[in-house]
Amino acid sequence: MTRRPFLAACLLLLIAIGLAWWLEARTPQPVAITPSLTGETEYCLTCHADLAEISPSHPLETFGCVTCHGGERLALEADLAHSSMRGGANPSDLSVVEQSCGGGDCHAGSPAEQRDHIQRVMTSIQVNYTGAVTSIRYTFGAQPDQTPIYGALAVTDTSLPSQTGILRLDLFDPSTETNPSVRAFGEKCLTCHINAEPADGEQYYRYTGCAACHTPLTPPPLPLAGEGQGVRGIHTLTTAIPYTQCNTCHNRGNYDLRTMLFVERTDQPTRRIDDYYQPIAQFVQCEWTLDCVDCHTRIEAMGDGDIHATKASIQYTQCKTCHGTLTELPLTKTLTDPEDIAFRLAFLNPVVDLEIGDTILVTEKGEPLWNTRFLPDGTYEMVGKATRQLFTFRPVMGSGCTQNGQDQSSAYCHTCHAVER
Amino acid sequence: MESAIFDRGYYIIDSIMRPNFFHHIHPPTIPAEQSRWRYTLGAGGTAIFLTLVLIITGVLEMFYYVPTPDEAALSVQTLSFLVPFGGLVRNLHFWAAQLLLIVSAVHLVRVVFTGAYAPPRRFNYLLGLTLFILAILLDFTGYILRWDQGIQWALVVGVNLVKTIPLVGEQLYVFLVGGSQPGSVTLIRFYAWHIFGLMLLAAIMTVWHSFRVRRDGGIAVPPPELRADPARISRFELVRREVTAMLLTGAALLLLSVFSPAPIAPAITDVNAITGDARAPWFFLWVQQMLKWGDPFLWGVLVPVLLLLILALIPYVLPRPAQNEVGRWFIRSNRLAQVVLAVMALLVILLTLLALLPAA
Repeated sequence: MTRRPFLAACLLLLIAIGLAWWLEARTPQPVAITPSLTGETEYCLTCHADLAEISPSHPLETFGCVTCHGGERLALEADLAHSSMRGGANPSDLSVVEQSCGGGDCHAGSPAEQRDHIQRVMTSIQVNYTGAVTSIRYTFGAQPDQTPIYGALAVTDTSLPSQTGILRLDLFDPSTETNPSVRAFGEKCLTCHINAEPADGEQYYRYTGCAACHTPLTPPPLPLAGEGQGVRGIHTLTTAIPYTQCNTCHNRGNYDLRTMLFVERTDQPTRRIDDYYQPIAQFVQCEWTLDCVDCHTRIEAMGDGDIHATKASIQYTQCKTCHGTLTELPLTKTLTDPEDIAFRLAFLNPVVDLEIGDTILVTEKGEPLWNTRFLPDGTYEMVGKATRQLFTFRPVMGSGCTQNGQDQSSAYCHTCHAVER
Repeated sequence: MESAIFDRGYYIIDSIMRPNFFHHIHPPTIPAEQSRWRYTLGAGGTAIFLTLVLIITGVLEMFYYVPTPDEAALSVQTLSFLVPFGGLVRNLHFWAAQLLLIVSAVHLVRVVFTGAYAPPRRFNYLLGLTLFILAILLDFTGYILRWDQGIQWALVVGVNLVKTIPLVGEQLYVFLVGGSQPGSVTLIRFYAWHIFGLMLLAAIMTVWHSFRVRRDGGIAVPPPELRADPARISRFELVRREVTAMLLTGAALLLLSVFSPAPIAPAITDVNAITGDARAPWFFLWVQQMLKWGDPFLWGVLVPVLLLLILALIPYVLPRPAQNEVGRWFIRSNRLAQVVLAVMALLVILLTLLALLPAA
């Protein structure tokens, strides 16, 4: 045997060693973070250092990434690192929300501490959609009355006693329905409850679960390079939810009950007054200059723990909530307790600088309208939660209004106060 | 020049070159026929080299591996991604283990197809076969040590197969698993078997097997009077050939490690709730395929054991290779043994390929 094969083998091994060394040298330096909540080091930032912190109330050094997203905290290979993530890119999807947002009792805690967000959302009309399901089934003879039986999610009311008397909903399964219209409804029209994948189209784009509302995607995020790779979302959680996010479900059009098709609105609004609602009704100024969340409260949007079947049974903010009536001023509360929920809410979205001693409006259920303040001159101010715009307004009492205070229907107030569009 | 001298049967080189330790553990000269690539394929020597690689990389891995259910998969991830060259060490260990099985199988095929198991090497054939089984068991226990979702199916199914053995199955299961179902005790038992029990046995058997190669007259070739080529080579040439094989194997290992990392999966959350791939490691895919046919004891235990028994009996019950033919491929005298092994090998390969097909 000559030395040639031996030398060639030496050379080959040296090349292989050089290659291994070169690849090792090219491996990115791991970036570690040890969140104080878990005390477990994770290396997600090695690749995701450019991702902005999701919200001031979820600081990176406290939560890290894995607390919410799951995943393999030590893996530096993308497929493995992402393989055990909860809900893919969206840990707030309701299928995993108990483990992610609800972990450590953060948002699945006690009602007394107002940390039962998940329990409330699960029973809310935003999730169960049972009003629509019940109406359609009743209309087409699939059930004898309008007692809610099915929802888009099977749910049991665990926060007894129930004010609504609805103790459970079974899962609405269109495939078991015999009426073709009910089946068609199930197949085509269940895109609006917040855990459903939205319909196609930029105007509908939103995430599912908590992020459906709390991650506003306006303007819609850019598509990723290449076809079929989904949409690049933004890493944000906020309570400053603009009306445009609500409009990814609301005010997009109407259902045609004959064809069971969703008929999109066809107008191309350029002014906010037109964009806010679909063009079928009258509105007063505050209904379109404010954002939805400026008036509608947490309980209205996310539920109160009881299973509700209709909007009417949970939506209670009325004109008088802020303006009072001819005989009564709106309800107010002077903040004396630093632990008051109003301070927590104002901390999450610091559009106002609330202080002990401030007097704010409250709803008839005692919910603080923490972005309002009673002023010494007898008027009120409100700061837009999403726009930070300052509004001032007066109570009805002492004004020239001739209302019947018992009638708080929107049509009644619109008689005088509707804005022409 | 040097090789020309030795091809003519001279072996004065020991007095010219001072043999070092590695030269010293080889015979001063061996028949040239014994070390031809086309005869031996270098399989036995390569297996020893791979074993050395496995021991070295395995010891390095032990500095980081934590054999507890909560930490095992995480420590493998730490080693793979965060320890400098840790991933390379793990990949080398993995590929050396896989190649060891392949090389051992090639070695077995070579021994049968060249009639090298003929007396006096029948006992060493059995030692080799035992080593092959130990290598498979070491590979399987090492695979389980990952303790991630990729191994759950094989662990649960593998140990359940033991249960099906009549009379002793239940006791054997508890002995292996350490309880009524896989749990934390199982991991430490597999760890102990992998790094101590099986490893110690394999080390002893490797030394014994190598010793018997030397004691039985080196690699099988016809006796001197029947040998076609009387040439001999020196230990220097032999070592050079061995080192060349090691260098090539080392390069192959490195390239495989760099371009095809060892499998890894998310950590197990509940060992008995299988969430990962329902697939056995590649060397047991043929058994997994047979399990689809029904009775787990028959197809998962009895048939594999029978195949091993047939392999073990080849030197004792089938026609012996003729002395003058030993050392050549596809000899006439033991054709039946070659056919038996070929059928078994093809069967295993076919079943493995079937198992790899996507489920209908």
